[in-house]
Amino acid sequence: MIRERIVGAMRPHHTLHAHCDVPCGIYDPHAAELGARTVARMVELINENLGGDETQRNKFVRCVSVKEQHAELVKREVQVIWSDYFKPEHLETYPQLHDLTWRILKQAGKCKQSVDAQAAADLQALVKQFADIFWETKGGRPQA
Amino acid sequence: MPERIEEREGRHARFRSGTRFGIGLAAVGLALAPPLSRVLRSWPLRSAVAGTSMRPGLEPGDWLLVDPRGFAGRAPRPSELVAVPDPREPSRWLVKRVAGVAPDGRLELAGDDRGSSTDSREFGPVDPASVIGRPWARYWPPTRIGPVR
Repeated sequence: MIRERIVGAMRPHHTLHAHCDVPCGIYDPHAAELGARTVARMVELINENLGGDETQRNKFVRCVSVKEQHAELVKREVQVIWSDYFKPEHLETYPQLHDLTWRILKQAGKCKQSVDAQAAADLQALVKQFADIFWETKGGRPQA
Repeated sequence: MPERIEEREGRHARFRSGTRFGIGLAAVGLALAPPLSRVLRSWPLRSAVAGTSMRPGLEPGDWLLVDPRGFAGRAPRPSELVAVPDPREPSRWLVKRVAGVAPDGRLELAGDDRGSSTDSREFGPVDPASVIGRPWARYWPPTRIGPVR
């Protein structure tokens, strides 16, 4: 109680932005989509790769490690776009944005914890929804 | 006679230790006074860092003291931290490092983590008169209290 009071009184009055918020063209959900695809592919490889020799074991560990890193990458990329790119007016048009972001972050965690093709597919689908919203706010996905 | 001398010396010693204590107290006071006044004038500008462009020196969520007179009488110099309004949106404040000073005296600003920072390459050099203050200390989280530079 006293601690909360003290911390409350110490709370900052201002925000100093140290953001990565280049006005246009730099934000891109592609990295998140690629990350989600990588996670799904790693799940496939891990499931195939149950052999016991050292090379196989090495490959297995590498796949798990890459899955972990890319799930983290998805979280990071989605978080940045969510916090730095999307603005309140976007939220009015896409009220599901906060919930979707939250579900992606949760789902990425689930993909780290498991070797579950369905979880990875769900992550990909959620990230695609997120990317679709992003590109709608940009007036359409660029043609590759 | 000898007793009185001893007594006098005793008093003298007490007097000396009292003086020393007083001088010590004054010294500590003098040493603390400028930082204390600095804390007091920085307190209304206490600010939270948002974003990662100043990593690893400043982390998002760090609470900083910003001294409004941190550059009193001079312009910020290269490598110093500054708090400035975003030239594109002045109600929004930025924390940046002075990367260089243009010939006209304006400041080139940059984030520390160049990969994830909006900086002068995006919005051009800023007027030193627009600088809000100098972030000089972190007061939260408790584990990382101390000066920032």
